[in-house]
Amino acid sequence: MTRISPETPAGAATAASAPWSIRLRDAVVRYPNGVVGLKKISLDIEAGEMVSIVGLSGSGKSSLIRTINGLVPLSSGTLEVGGHRMDLARGRELRRLRGQIGMIFQGFNLAGRTTVLNNVLVGRLAHTSVPRTLVGAYRQRDRQLAFEALDRVGMLERVYHRAAHLSGGQQQRVAIARALAQEPGIVLADEPVASLDPPTAHAVMGDLRRINRELGITVLVNLHLLDLARGYGTRLIGLRAGEIVYDGPAATATDADFERIYGRPIGDQDLLGGQSAAPTGTPA
Amino acid sequence: MSAAEYPGLPAKPGGRWKIWLAIAIIAAITAVTLAPGIGVDFSLDAIVRNWRNGAEKIGQLLVPDWSFFPRTIEPLIETLQMAVIASVIGAIVSVPLSMWAARLTNPNRITRGLVRTILNIVRAVPDLLYAAVLVAMVGVGALPGIIALVLFNVGIVVKLVSEAIESGDPGPGEAARAAGGTQTQINRAALLPDIWPPFINQALYAFELNVRASTVLGLVGAGGLGLLIDAVRTFYRYDQLALIILEILVVVVLIDWASAAMRKRLK
Ligand SMILES: Nc1ncnc2c1ncn2[C@@H]1O[C@H](COP(=O)(O)OP(=O)(O)OP(=O)(O)O)[C@@H](O)[C@H]1O
Ligand SMILES: [Mg+2]
Repeated sequence: MTRISPETPAGAATAASAPWSIRLRDAVVRYPNGVVGLKKISLDIEAGEMVSIVGLSGSGKSSLIRTINGLVPLSSGTLEVGGHRMDLARGRELRRLRGQIGMIFQGFNLAGRTTVLNNVLVGRLAHTSVPRTLVGAYRQRDRQLAFEALDRVGMLERVYHRAAHLSGGQQQRVAIARALAQEPGIVLADEPVASLDPPTAHAVMGDLRRINRELGITVLVNLHLLDLARGYGTRLIGLRAGEIVYDGPAATATDADFERIYGRPIGDQDLLGGQSAAPTGTPA
Repeated sequence: MSAAEYPGLPAKPGGRWKIWLAIAIIAAITAVTLAPGIGVDFSLDAIVRNWRNGAEKIGQLLVPDWSFFPRTIEPLIETLQMAVIASVIGAIVSVPLSMWAARLTNPNRITRGLVRTILNIVRAVPDLLYAAVLVAMVGVGALPGIIALVLFNVGIVVKLVSEAIESGDPGPGEAARAAGGTQTQINRAALLPDIWPPFINQALYAFELNVRASTVLGLVGAGGLGLLIDAVRTFYRYDQLALIILEILVVVVLIDWASAAMRKRLK
């Protein structure tokens, strides 16, 4: 299904930039309405890690992910991505840093009425001038990167299709291609499979894992299903009420650990089921 | 009563007095405006008195002067030209203005508020008044008519399109922001594609209104059929007026039909 060959050495093909690390120190996120999203979080994520973030609804998963690319500003504390002070960046510098961080959303966030190609080219905005964007004259190299990214997720033949005409799983693949076209050092995914059926969810998670393994990109994924979190992440972070309550290897996290993160017994609703996702398995 | 109508039917909700209150208020306002001395000077009396006179005019209106047709062609074409030119210019100007006026495409509260306020003022002035003032400024002809129509167009298109933008999906824009785009890039690359349909829709609707409006702008000297209407009316040529009204009717119906067909295809 995907065109990523297992032989591709990490960081070869598209990843021009090296993977990035993330460093949060005493990070507090307080929303304008007074709700505290993150309470003094300190966290180190090394370049090239694949991290699953779990927690109940409202525990701060989205807040954490969106803080890392500056969509949500820090109220206090510091944030470094790839050695750059993200929390101090403004304007052009902030956009340049965001250009190095790909983001994948639960709702895909594609412009439905335009082509798959135009959607993937959105990933090149940080490297494209405003006049070029206005007339839609992307550089040849940017188009090349878009084609390459689509090829990686097996969506190249849909390049001129309207985004809205694709299935949910296909749309999420295009969204992954949009992130890959950025040649990112980090990919953030906020519940990327929450609106997909189980087989498609596994396929999309498989794509994210390959991005991490073959391109070496640091990947952070918010999930609310613990078998996906355990199966696809190498490291697991558990959040509760805006605080980190678990941080350790994903594969060995026990059901008891999850019960502590969730603060309740776990049940079937916390599992996706379907194709088992062995951490070392190589899906077809 | 309700039990007889259907077993188990719940009691009718109250609150119908509100409707009666509304009717009473409207009736009161009507009575006041018609009251002698303070109200509008209006009486059925006048209609009855002028009835003979009116009947004669209507008789003339029913028999259009077909021989007048050649002289109406040029003003008719001028009217259509005014409508087309004004619609195109208005539409082009409306794209950036709509984006400045909508929160999704312009998060800056100050510039957004400024654009909205100016447009509210533009919209508050009737097109005929624009035309009258512009005729005084740039002289009689099609130009003041076109400018008046452009202002009229921008007023409505920007309002309707910016509302369509507000109710649109913020997702694609968020993705473009996360990828490091400027607001202009976000608007163009991620939001504009989904704004096109409502935009074309409203621009076509404005064009329909323009055809209608452009026929009367000439009454104040702003070119097109209106000038001719004014002329034949002065000479009490109701048979010629009838022909012009017939032509406007045909053109408006044809354009409404074509525009509706185009808008349907957009869906
Ligand atoms: N834009 C916002 N304004 C105000 N409060 C917010 C905002 N976004 C999130 N919150 C609040 O911050 C807290 C953490 O929310 P967050 O979205 O990070 O949780 P989450 O773990 O992603 O939840 P879910 O699983 O439902 O997506 C919640 O109490 C939420 O109501
Ligand atoms: Mg969330």
